[in-house]
Amino acid sequence: MVNYIYLTVLFPLAGFLINGIFGNRIKNEKIIGIIGSGAVGLSFLVSLFSFFQLLGMPAEERSVIVNLFSWLNIGALHINFGYLVDPLSIVMSLIVTGVGFLIHVYAIGYMHGDKGFFRFFAYLNLFIFAMMNLILGDNFVVLFLGWEGVGLCSYLLIGFWYDRKFEKGTVSQAAKKAFVVNRIGDFGFLLGMFLIFMTFDSLNFQDVFAKAASFPVSETTFSFIALFLFIGATGKSAQIPLFVWLPDAMAGPTPVSALIHAATMVTAGVYMVSRTAIIFASAPVIMTVVAVVGLLTAFFAASMGLVQNDIKKVLAYSTVSQLGYMFLAAGVGAFSASIFHVMTHAFFKALLFLGAGSVIHSMHEEQNIQHYGNLKKYMPRTYITFLLAALAISGFPGFSGFFSKDEILWNAFAKGNFVFWLIGALTAVMTAFYMFRLVSLTFFGKERFGHEHHPHESPAVMTVPLMILGVLSVIGGYIGIPAIFSGENGNKFEEFLKPVYENAERKMVTYGTHTHFEEILLMALSVAFALTAIYFAYVIYTRRQEIAEKTSAKFKGLYTVLFNKYYIDEIYEASVVKPIQTVSEKFLWKIADNKIIDGVVNGTGILIEKSSNVIRKLQTGIAQFYAVVMMVGIAVVLFWIILSL
Amino acid sequence: MDVSNIIESLKLIKPEIAVSASLILVLIFDLIFHKDKKLIPYVALLGLFATGYFVIHQFGTTGFGFATKSTFKAFGMVTVDSFGTFFKLLILISAVLVLFFSSFSDEIKKTTDRLGEYYVLIFGMILGMFLMVSATDFLLIYLSMELLSLSSYVLAGFTKLRDRNSEASLKYVIYGSVSSGLMLFGISIIYGLTGSTNLYVINSLIQSPQINVLALSFALILVMAGMGFKISAAPFHFWTPDVYEGSPITITAFLSVASKAAGFGLLIRFIKTGFAAMTLNNGYWMLNPIFDWKLIIVILAILTMTLGNFSALWQNNLKRMLAYSSIAHAGYLLLGLAVFSNQGIAAILIYFFVYMLMNLGAFLIVMLIADKLGSEDVDDYDGLGYTSPFLGISLAVFLVSLTGLPPTAGFIGKLYIFSALIDAKMFVVAVIGVLNSVVSLYYYIRVLKHMYLVKPKIQPVEIIPGLSQKFLVLLLVVPVLFFGIYFSPIVELAKNCVVLLGF
Repeated sequence: MVNYIYLTVLFPLAGFLINGIFGNRIKNEKIIGIIGSGAVGLSFLVSLFSFFQLLGMPAEERSVIVNLFSWLNIGALHINFGYLVDPLSIVMSLIVTGVGFLIHVYAIGYMHGDKGFFRFFAYLNLFIFAMMNLILGDNFVVLFLGWEGVGLCSYLLIGFWYDRKFEKGTVSQAAKKAFVVNRIGDFGFLLGMFLIFMTFDSLNFQDVFAKAASFPVSETTFSFIALFLFIGATGKSAQIPLFVWLPDAMAGPTPVSALIHAATMVTAGVYMVSRTAIIFASAPVIMTVVAVVGLLTAFFAASMGLVQNDIKKVLAYSTVSQLGYMFLAAGVGAFSASIFHVMTHAFFKALLFLGAGSVIHSMHEEQNIQHYGNLKKYMPRTYITFLLAALAISGFPGFSGFFSKDEILWNAFAKGNFVFWLIGALTAVMTAFYMFRLVSLTFFGKERFGHEHHPHESPAVMTVPLMILGVLSVIGGYIGIPAIFSGENGNKFEEFLKPVYENAERKMVTYGTHTHFEEILLMALSVAFALTAIYFAYVIYTRRQEIAEKTSAKFKGLYTVLFNKYYIDEIYEASVVKPIQTVSEKFLWKIADNKIIDGVVNGTGILIEKSSNVIRKLQTGIAQFYAVVMMVGIAVVLFWIILSL
Repeated sequence: MDVSNIIESLKLIKPEIAVSASLILVLIFDLIFHKDKKLIPYVALLGLFATGYFVIHQFGTTGFGFATKSTFKAFGMVTVDSFGTFFKLLILISAVLVLFFSSFSDEIKKTTDRLGEYYVLIFGMILGMFLMVSATDFLLIYLSMELLSLSSYVLAGFTKLRDRNSEASLKYVIYGSVSSGLMLFGISIIYGLTGSTNLYVINSLIQSPQINVLALSFALILVMAGMGFKISAAPFHFWTPDVYEGSPITITAFLSVASKAAGFGLLIRFIKTGFAAMTLNNGYWMLNPIFDWKLIIVILAILTMTLGNFSALWQNNLKRMLAYSSIAHAGYLLLGLAVFSNQGIAAILIYFFVYMLMNLGAFLIVMLIADKLGSEDVDDYDGLGYTSPFLGISLAVFLVSLTGLPPTAGFIGKLYIFSALIDAKMFVVAVIGVLNSVVSLYYYIRVLKHMYLVKPKIQPVEIIPGLSQKFLVLLLVVPVLFFGIYFSPIVELAKNCVVLLGF
């Protein structure tokens, strides 16, 4: 099955083409939905079979290149359109197609009755197609193709309801923001690719990584490559300083938020860093940069999540924060831990978003959690599954999030330092707090919505995916149980991914050893913190709301700062957007563009027009004239030859 | 020349024999069934397919046929190699497509009584072109060019529906005979200098210092002028717009692709066999330093594409616009030749394949629209993109491809031409070529502007192509898009076909 891995790409492509071209003629939502989700389901099956086949191989042979065709062969550039199936890519493709399939099914219910139903499924399939290219590509060019493809789909889907209003602006403005911010990151990624080609004369993963492991390349070069690649990653994965687009991306339909802006696309940056582990490992300074950026993003995003009132906004900041964790892990060299968190996060965050969608659906597009309350009475299935996900993300012992987050925190301490762990743990506390603030305000307490609302449970097509994801959120972590619990077998997930990072591991310096006691102690501490946070959040937001009000009144300044997201948008507006706008308008547009560039362009145009008019007149239509010109031409050439003899 | 030589040689020209047989067959059919001409296109098609069988079989075959002197037994009048076979295939595919075009064309339908002649003459053209791309003897070169020219003179004015048909034909004859006269003059000088008409023999003789370089240059310029006429390179291009505009659109399409391909095949073979001392290991040719080959071809190329593009800018008649555009494309193709390397030849082959698809496609759409609209003026295309989405989008694809933008095949063609130039460190020339593409963008996109952005003054006609017409359009659109993304098959094929027999 591994050799047929390209099917995982072709099925969604076929789905996109069918729904995109014939969708408006099919009209039947059921058929469109089945085509759309069926395509992804088939992809998932292929991935699954490939995964088992890969498991059956000896560990060192688990890297298969499926070459489709030679794509670009120009000068020194040789690019094959090929896919690389190895533990890393197969794990990612299982996540993307598996979670993607569930979200597709859910969307059949969620998007019911939308006038753009077929367009929605076509875009979703196109997204999966691009994402699979990103994950499976065996060289940077195919990866970049997917990278740009998912960016495009993200833009199309954020702006799906392009005629609606969103916050202060419109939905299309939010889509545009996502696109522009992503372009900044893509620019970095491109520079990184150019530098890689300059340094290693290849863009093929195998060549580049082999050369990176053995070639005497200076650390400065590695640092620049890694920095550029990381800039690309911060764009796509919403890290400081390019995270501002993700909260606005919530303007898209909720299944999109779940699929693209939580479970899959935003983890592309993490995947890319993980894929190029050897390059990052060769640039220790940039590794620290990655870890610190990840940590700060995790911390600040979580703090912003504490006070948001829009249910999707809370989850958006939570996503940014969790992505920060993944980069923290990658930055300290625990690449498999970061991928592990990608997986568990895909389960519970997709579930949280879908659950939120279910709530929004039943509350008729109301998204303010202050206007919910006691919904557990009306929507028990949504409630239970949402609670499971909330426990998972808060790191409740035994749930999937517990294992992955603990793995990251432990690595932050063991491979990083105590400060990393402390800030990470504080972030975990805040995570638990804002999640249970959300749960309490939504599902517990008094009903705070008017009588015009009649909350109801969503149909089965939406709740069944919720339940499946609920189960995964609980048990998903058990394949990555840390060695101290599972004993001799060690961490199975880490073991599986190990061959991918072998060269990188060799390059990294390992610091002294740590004892099991330390690990247990730190784990116990973070669990205790999280449980306390859950308790307080529950008590405050179900029974004693006045505490919350008093606190926010007392720390009014801090509250306002957090509520306004540290004014980052305003700061960017004032420091980047406005100056650019002003310079653009006053100078670039009115002088540089209107006068200089337009002048040159129009001047050239007029010149060409004029000369074209002259040249055109050569075509007189008189045959004798033509013959004369021909003779003159020959004579000129002869004359010139005689002169040059 | 002994009998065994003749038999061996006959085996090498099976495609040409098939074409001649089809020609005769069509002629006989025309005589027998002169009441009902419906069958003739099918007979012609059958003939083309039979020829196609032999052409495809010929891939990989190499050899010299019809040696003129027993002392030079190895070198004949005809040379068969993959390079020539590639061009034959190209000519044949465009012939098949033009045959289908003809069956849709209203112009051709109006001349049913002379349909037999039409196909006979097309076969005459094909035979001429086949011989052109494999000729290595001046006698055959001249004869095959005349065969092609004479057939096309008649076809250019075939329909006689309007004055401009006859005008086209007459101008073509006048201009063609002048250039063929010049060429013949050049050939006779070369014969006088070397005592041979065989290119291989000439190649070995002109190495000697006794040859008068000035006389040889003079003769060469004259011969190349004759070939420049066929590929409509400036300043020998003046006939092109008038003839293309006046001819039936099917013949215009055929001339713009097949005739040009044959001209290029001949020119390349002429230079390579006649004047290349050797081919270096890196694929570059060592040319006999009679004069600065590179400079002459570069100047011709730049002149050709600039004149073509600049004149196309203000054309309102689409057929005429496409005529100028085909001149510009000849310029790009000459750039590939100017590199004088196998890489450049590969680029030309790739470009020609792509050019065949997109240019024939553009002509087909213009023809389908003209049949309904009765006009080829771009002003009459206003709003057509909305009423006839299928034709509109297809034309858009072809025009974008002709400009050379990704993800269409046209981009690949230009990419390989320009990368061959870059490889040869001819940066300035490459930049001029790219700038020329920019100019061409204007007049190609102007058509799209009219189809999609200009508010029509009157309600535009709705043009719904028939199923078979749709199929034919798709047959050209799909490869243009497909090869824009997955182009390694053409590239591989072209790279395998660059080797010319000889030096």
